[in-house]
Amino acid sequence: MLCWATRRAFLTLPSQAAADPRRYTLYFVRKVLIANRGEIALRILRACRELDIATVAVFSDADRAALHVLEADEAYRLGPAPASESYLRGSLILDIAQRAGADAIHPGYGFLSENADFAQACNESGIKFIGPPASAMRALGSKTNARQAADEAGLPRTPGCVHGLASPEEALSVAAGIGFPVMLKAAAGGGGKGMRAVSRPEDLPEAFVAAQSEAERAFGSGEVYLEKLIERPRHIEIQVLADEHGHCVSLGERECSVQRRHQKVIEEAPSAVVDPDLRRRMGDAAVRLALSAGYTNAGTVEFLVDDEQNFYFLEVNTRLQVEHPVTELVTGYDLVHLQIRIARGEPLPFTQQDVHLRGHAIECRVYAEDPDDHFMPSPGRITRLLQPGGPGIREDCGVYEGWTVPIDYDPMLSKLIAFAPTRDMAIARLQRALGEYVIGGIRTNLGLFRRILRDPDFRAARIDTGYLDRLLIANPPGHDAPLVNGAEHIPVVAAAVFEATKPAAAASLPANGSASTWKSTARREATGGASWKARA
Amino acid sequence: MKLDLEIDGQLRHVEILAGQAAGPWSILIDGEPVEADACLVRPGVLSLLIAGQSHRIVLDANLSHSTATEAALHHGQRRIPWQAGDPRSLRSRHRAAGATGPVTLKASMPGRVVRVLVDPGDTVTAHQGVLVLEAMKMQNELKSPREGRVTQLRVMPGDTVAAGDILAIIE
Repeated sequence: MLCWATRRAFLTLPSQAAADPRRYTLYFVRKVLIANRGEIALRILRACRELDIATVAVFSDADRAALHVLEADEAYRLGPAPASESYLRGSLILDIAQRAGADAIHPGYGFLSENADFAQACNESGIKFIGPPASAMRALGSKTNARQAADEAGLPRTPGCVHGLASPEEALSVAAGIGFPVMLKAAAGGGGKGMRAVSRPEDLPEAFVAAQSEAERAFGSGEVYLEKLIERPRHIEIQVLADEHGHCVSLGERECSVQRRHQKVIEEAPSAVVDPDLRRRMGDAAVRLALSAGYTNAGTVEFLVDDEQNFYFLEVNTRLQVEHPVTELVTGYDLVHLQIRIARGEPLPFTQQDVHLRGHAIECRVYAEDPDDHFMPSPGRITRLLQPGGPGIREDCGVYEGWTVPIDYDPMLSKLIAFAPTRDMAIARLQRALGEYVIGGIRTNLGLFRRILRDPDFRAARIDTGYLDRLLIANPPGHDAPLVNGAEHIPVVAAAVFEATKPAAAASLPANGSASTWKSTARREATGGASWKARA
Repeated sequence: MKLDLEIDGQLRHVEILAGQAAGPWSILIDGEPVEADACLVRPGVLSLLIAGQSHRIVLDANLSHSTATEAALHHGQRRIPWQAGDPRSLRSRHRAAGATGPVTLKASMPGRVVRVLVDPGDTVTAHQGVLVLEAMKMQNELKSPREGRVTQLRVMPGDTVAAGDILAIIE
């Protein structure tokens, strides 16, 4: 009896109860086509399995043996390796979805995920696009349109224009009105393409033309606008979720200030500089913008935050973000589950009052690139993969030992995420996991994360979007970590053992062990004594 | 058994007095004795016990493109480049680093040639861009390792190249 009483005491009802799902007509989602590849295809596939939904994978010739193809219930070929001939072929993907009997398409991120025409084509052919409606994507997808929507919803934004600039002269007059330095940006932009910081009027005409042509080449649209450059900003974004019945909540912030060439490298939640009041104000602004645009499903509203905690609207990502796991860990909600439930027509199963942040999560984007050689891409075969685990570690990985990383796509291999009660403990867990993680055969940026996590400024959360560039200049790549005193002979012993146990060498070993299973494996491992070549 | 190893840029002379894949090893490193217990726990993954300390060392060798790569060892948080060879070739390679004579520009990764920035016969300076290679949606400029004259250009825009392919020769 006492036990009952205690249990009941914990059963508190939220002040504003979530909507009753029985009042809504649901759309059946029994089979989902995943129009993506790599770790995100696997992430979505896992969510579908957990919800007892069948999965359809699509693949290019380069991805015939990719993990998402191996794991899916069904898989269909799209075409040759280039994305334009495979993962970007919307009508073919829609055709496959219909023939396979899929009820819905999850686009992941990248590829077709922010293509409003594709979303519209899906919905018109009776296949649910798991994401916002095409109208909301159009209203918020272009950065100039989004700035207009932000003005209408009363969000603070950086000073500057809300329309594309027609000429260098117009750019000069807008810049004169707000003062230098300014930032030129592509309206259709992403990933830093078409962006130019300009600090002097005489540099503006040339930068304008360069930004325009870069945007034209990258996005097929040369529309460029201009805004005031915020000095040393932090990049802080708000996750929103909206159902199809007018409910919208914010799930706290993610700080993504550790960037290189405008690409996020490390993301964390919560941000060390966001207090509950700022979180509430940023969250309210994001929800207001989403509701005003008729947004549904998962989305992210990005802000710049200056050193006085002023926030400025930046843009909206109308899709699931790469860095969504840090939000999942600190809120306890599975965003892909919720995306699918929203697409089914369910009301959000909780209200804003139910959202509480707990602990701290940090994510590293693991790339096939060489930080010691100007971050050159490093595609090729993964000859060794030892993956980390243990308490508080989540690894969303799209590769396996023996897989050849193709040259045709983004070089992201996996995301390593640590969760702990505090930021310090999350950093410690991440460092511990990085010590367990080995990816051999190709070069990766794992060493870069070790350096960042050791850096006093990162550990003190003194970061802004220029932080990583400054770290790389002040502390150029070199050795991963200082040698422990007396440890220098350990790699020598190891190299001697590896070298001496090669098949050709093993015969001349003194006190040689008899032929055993390791010998044949050593033979496979050995590249042959004669093939060691000088490094280029 | 005697070995010459280049580890982290340093030449080491190693003599193995006794050793087997799983069990005790007795080694002289530059004349200094070291006792270790080795266990090859799976291909390329070695456990070493030295004076009671346990170390996991992982062999990292790119087997598919032997020409363009190096071998390395992963030990804790460190990645240590190494190679083995007979003493003469290692020493001559050390000397060759600053030598003159023809040098080859090799593809450091598989990719597609986007642009060629020089013509055969052109003189180039050290670190001058020779061509642009695209891989993983990124364009990378490959630079001449030293100054000289481009005597051969073996690729054209649009060509697909493998890691280690010779793209140009500079004399």
